[in-house]
Amino acid sequence: MIDARGGITLGMKIGIARLRSVSAPLTLVLACTGVFALGVFGRRSDPSGALDNLLSTPVLGFLLPVLAYLVSERVCAGQRLDRSADSLARHGADRRAVVLGLLLTAALCTALSAALLALSAVFTAHTPGSLAFDVRSSVSIALLAGVVYALWFGAASLLGKRGGGRKWALILDFILGAGNSALAAPCPRAQVRNLLGGEPALGISQAHAWLALIAIGAVCALFSVTRTSE
Amino acid sequence: MNALHFELAKHVELVSVSAVFTPGTHVVLGHERDGTHTLVSLAAGMAPPSAGRVHLNGAAPFSNALLRRDIGALCATEALPPARTVERALALALRARGDARPVTRVLSAAGLAHLTERCCATLSTRETRAVALAIALAHPKPSLLALHEPLSLVPLVREEFILDALHEAAESGVIVLATASRLEDASRLGGTASALERGIWLPAAGARTLTPGVTLRVQTPHAARLVTCLAEAADIDAVTWAGTQELLVRGSNLERVAQRVVSSARADAIHITALRQEFPALEAASTTPATTSQPAPPGSPQ
Repeated sequence: MIDARGGITLGMKIGIARLRSVSAPLTLVLACTGVFALGVFGRRSDPSGALDNLLSTPVLGFLLPVLAYLVSERVCAGQRLDRSADSLARHGADRRAVVLGLLLTAALCTALSAALLALSAVFTAHTPGSLAFDVRSSVSIALLAGVVYALWFGAASLLGKRGGGRKWALILDFILGAGNSALAAPCPRAQVRNLLGGEPALGISQAHAWLALIAIGAVCALFSVTRTSE
Repeated sequence: MNALHFELAKHVELVSVSAVFTPGTHVVLGHERDGTHTLVSLAAGMAPPSAGRVHLNGAAPFSNALLRRDIGALCATEALPPARTVERALALALRARGDARPVTRVLSAAGLAHLTERCCATLSTRETRAVALAIALAHPKPSLLALHEPLSLVPLVREEFILDALHEAAESGVIVLATASRLEDASRLGGTASALERGIWLPAAGARTLTPGVTLRVQTPHAARLVTCLAEAADIDAVTWAGTQELLVRGSNLERVAQRVVSSARADAIHITALRQEFPALEAASTTPATTSQPAPPGSPQ
């Protein structure tokens, strides 16, 4: 019996190896610096709504999806998600377990990046006296959004000859997720916006938006595993 | 008993390949563009056929991880698992196979110990393939060895090591499926030979052992005189006209044939404008070996 846990560990190892480069932390530092600068400007113009504006549009609305896309592209080595496991699968590793390991690495990396971006936003643009609450709520939304975006792009990486579905997932999330129709509901962007107090898609409540995000992530993970051969 | 079946398998260059490989050595003649790389990829479970079936001992290697553990493979282009050094990359590969042996032992056996500490990014294409060959040949108990042009890695990997490992594997009931683009390589690998040409399977050669031989294409304005000189020369099996100023000279040893052509030309002050080795077409693998006749062109002095 193939050791699934061993396959997941191997998948995580190759995922980390693919992410290891100077450009990855440099991109994150640049993004955090940008968020910091935007926070300072936002706080000067609108101190009370600076954090909400910062989180909903540049941080979780733009930077997070783009970062998640780049992480997914790197973890998959620019290929389809299932084919990116071939370097180990050919030696006998379970392709599904390796894919899970790759997804886990992408999810952890994206979630931590999202949390760092959210923290940068909170520390520069928080409303006085509510730092603890802002940190808790922003970081929890960012962590979940990071995980879901990683799974979203992971599933999309199974489409197209060389994982071109990733690009379409980013475009669809930007276009469809910006609306509030039924088409917006399956996009992480619409649910994240709802959690940050923005307009809900299909009138879903904030409490249900958490569940909707978790459901999107679960469906994407399930799709990734079932679409991959052993 | 191990058996690898291709049932009307189609993929990229391959056109409906149907073949059965049993334990022993099987050499498939052909170039990468003829589909030899695709054949190895399908056998090793690295790609599923777009039509038809490929199965090893009743299961498809592409969708069976357990089966892939028993396959050692070498592809036309190789990529090691992502890691900083060769040692780490190999450790990942061996771990995926469930092989607990140290990396150094695997590389040392193939004479590649000097690559252990090398950064993967600095390896050349040939070196990467040599490392992949070392992993494949170090398999403790394979049921299939699917190797694309293993002898093209000589002298990076010693020829005796490759041939001994393949011979041992074949003797112990392993299916050894190796490809070769040169008849000489195919004859050194031994076993039964078949061929692929432009994706078409040529099974007719399956029962025949290949005869090694070399052909030199000689260009000279005095072709007729050179034919006369070479007619009775030792080491020359046949001389054929390939044009008004071109001859095809056949023999069994490249160096001796070339020496004989040059010495004969020099002795008779015949000017040779070009001399190069002619690689045989794949049809040579599926038809009888070259004849030793010397047909003369119309109007020639012969």
